[in-house]
This record gives sequence, C-alpha cells and structure tokens, in this order.
Amino acid sequence: MGKDATLVEYGSLSLNKKGEELCGDHVVATGNSDSSSRTFVLADGLGSGVQANILSTLTSTMLSEMIEGGLSIEESVEAVVKTLPVSKSRGNVAYSTFSICKLARDDILYVYNYDNPFPVYLRHGKELSIPVQETVVEGKRIAFYQIKMEAGDALVFMSDGVLYAGVGETMNFGWGRDEIVHYLEALYDDSISAKNIATLLVDHCSTLYNHRPGDDTTTLVIKKREREAVNVLVGPPTNPDDDEKTMRLFFARGGKHVVCGGTSTKVVARYLEKPILTDIDYLDPEIPPISHVEGVDLVTEGVITLNKVVEIAKDYLGGNSLYFEWSFRQDGASLLAKTLFEEATDISFFVGCAVNPAHQDPRYNIDISTKMGLVEELTKALRTMGKRVRVAYF
Amino acid sequence: MVTLSICVGSSCHLKGSYDVIEAMRKLIKEKGTVDDIDLKAAFCLGKCAFDGVSIKVNDKIITGVTPDKVKDVYEAEIAPLIGK
Repeated sequence: MGKDATLVEYGSLSLNKKGEELCGDHVVATGNSDSSSRTFVLADGLGSGVQANILSTLTSTMLSEMIEGGLSIEESVEAVVKTLPVSKSRGNVAYSTFSICKLARDDILYVYNYDNPFPVYLRHGKELSIPVQETVVEGKRIAFYQIKMEAGDALVFMSDGVLYAGVGETMNFGWGRDEIVHYLEALYDDSISAKNIATLLVDHCSTLYNHRPGDDTTTLVIKKREREAVNVLVGPPTNPDDDEKTMRLFFARGGKHVVCGGTSTKVVARYLEKPILTDIDYLDPEIPPISHVEGVDLVTEGVITLNKVVEIAKDYLGGNSLYFEWSFRQDGASLLAKTLFEEATDISFFVGCAVNPAHQDPRYNIDISTKMGLVEELTKALRTMGKRVRVAYF
Repeated sequence: MVTLSICVGSSCHLKGSYDVIEAMRKLIKEKGTVDDIDLKAAFCLGKCAFDGVSIKVNDKIITGVTPDKVKDVYEAEIAPLIGK
C-alpha cells in the first residue's frame, strides 16, 4: 500500500423523470486516486428530456474539463455562460444549475454551488456547518467554501428532484433539505460506500414519488475513507509444488483473506493445518454454501459464486437495484460483494491456474477459461469502482 | 452416530446438491433419525466425473445421488448402520 492511508471514492445514481428516456441531470468525475487533482460536477439542465440532457452534459463536461485544465472557477463559469446557446422560450437562459467540487492533492476540497440544493457535508455522519462565501459571475450568484477533507467525510450533491421528492404524489412541497440531512445522518455509517449512500437517498426519493418521479433526481456522493486491503485467492497454483510458496506469499499480506473455490480451500486448510467446516444451509439455492477455516476471513465456492459477484458488480455500477438483496444476505456471493465493494479499497487477486478436472465436463460449461474470464471481468468492474486492484497468476 | 456429508462443490452444486440436501433432510425427519445422523456439507469429494451428487456415509463415498434416489440410498447405506 502507498503512503496515503486514505482514499477518495465517489458514486452517483439518477432517476429519470417519469416517461423520459434521457436524464436531464449529468454527473462528470475526472481523475482517479493517483491524479494530482480531481473534479466532480453535477449539473441539472433546465427542463427535461433531450434538451435538459444536452445542457447538463455540455455544462458539466465543459466545467470539469476547464477546471481540470487549470482555469479558475470564475473563468470556467464565464466561458460556459457565454458559450452555450440561449433558449428564447426559457427566458433567455440556457446552461444548467451545477455543483462543483475540486479536490486538490493536499486534500483541500473546494465546493461551488449554483442553484442546486445546497450540498450536504457530513463528518462521521453529522452535518458540518461550514462558513459559505459568495461570488458573482456574469450576474450569477455562486456559493462557495473550502474545507480540508478527512477520512469519514462525505459530500453529497443533489439535483432539485431530490429536494422536491414527493411533490405531486405524497407531499405538497417535497421533504425539504432538513429532512434530507436527517435521513443521511441516520443512514450514514463509516462502512457504507459512496455509491450505496447515493442509492439509499435516491431510492427513498423514488418511494416518495410513488416511483413516478416528477423531475430528474440525481445524487453524487464523494467520500474519503481509510484504505482497507483484501486479498483473494482464486484457484490452486498450476504446479502443486508451488502451493506452499503461494500460501506463504498470500498469508504474508496484511488485510483480510478470502478464499474462493473448494480445491483452493483444501490447499489453504492443509497449509494452516486447520479443518474445513462447510455450512449445510443453502441461504440462496443458487449459491453453494460457504465454509469456515480458522485464519481465513471468508471461504466461498469458486466459479458459481464469482459469476454471481460479477453480475452484482455490473448492477452496482449501474442502477444498483440488487443492493437491497446483497446488503443483508449472508450467502457467499453477497458476503463477497460486501467485502469487495464496501470494505476493500486495495484488492490483490492471487489466481491459481491449475485446471480443475471437475470442471471439464462440457455439459456444465465451466472450464479454466470461465474462471479467468470472471476474474478479468471482476477486476475491470472493481477498477471502475475506484479500487486499486492487482492480479498475480500462479 | 452416522456422519453423512453431501458434496456442495461447484460440480455437484450444478447437479443438484440443494435438492438432495432438502430431500435427505425431509427423509431423516420422517424416519425420526435426526439424532442418529450428523448431516453435513462437504467441499469436492473428488468424484466429479459421475452423474448426480456425491455423498459420503462415514468413510464411504457414494456417487450419482439424485433427489429420487435419496430414499434408496438411505435404505441401502444408512439404515443398516443405525439399525432403524
């Protein structure tokens, strides 16, 4: 692990206004954990549908590109206001409302907000009140502040669809920012990922709207957290003579240890000189039960479980609708998803390439390439989530 | 006490471990032998090339078990060991 013991992750989720194919809100994130600075923008285009979608996409992309390119926020906003076409039918306004955050390498976070609901800044799950200043660019009043971001801090951006959730359905005026803050404070836990905070907030909005959102509803969460290492062993080494050496390398690493696959588990149990206790309860008929080996944090079956985790990972990066299942289930795939998506920031895969004779039956469609393909897909998804992933083959 | 392990490795899982476990549980309950049998799951028993699920009765591995064969396997392999 590098010197920095913390990592910034982000996640966003949108609901489209009912009947709309396109979302009028747009989120852009630039940079990754290795960049010298990172910029996040949530823009809400005026109106809905295609026009709003184009406006918010243009606004957020232009702003993030210019800010990332070193222009000041004032210069960037000025350029956006002057460049975007003006809609005569909408009172001569054309760009969208926006929230911007720029995170510099020294962890100083600059937040700018123009006409979006005022962002919520949580420190260990409590709203932090920060003195806000104002600047006027091209006649637009932009609120801004800066703060040094610490582990356990989360910044929540939202479009006004979040603020007015419920209008026209369950409430007259929406639930209001105070209630949103209460809701966020209640759900916050240091272990919850940025994506899942966004998911829980947007899902609640969907409920308030009776699943018929009256406006595009988007949340972007940026969270700083402590780094956690997780090591995953998938399959035994090609050459059994390497078992001992591979095990030594695997267990020498700090952090959690996860073992996927029956044969790998046997190799691990032999190395640790501990018995394998397999659960008989199928918590999910689709996923083989987990096992327990003293000294290993999680022991699951191999390919079937991994296949399910890949499916969950793809969903997590999109609509995250399976979250409401895996977040509380205890089957192997759900537990592995929780470990990898929520707990881990730095993941090392130890992939053994031994061919499992059990998997050579063509009727069941699993062979060594299946496993390799799953590891590759999972690695890609985890990197997209902002995890640092390293894969070694044995 | 008889130790009965049912394989839940990838291959057996795909061949129906879940249904075999459920069928065996039901049968053991019907027979009233819950206290005589230690029902467990096991990872791969190394007999993947056979059809059906592998199970282990004490130290003897029986392959090719399917839900409809559970009763026969019980009568032939388990009942004699517990005398019920």
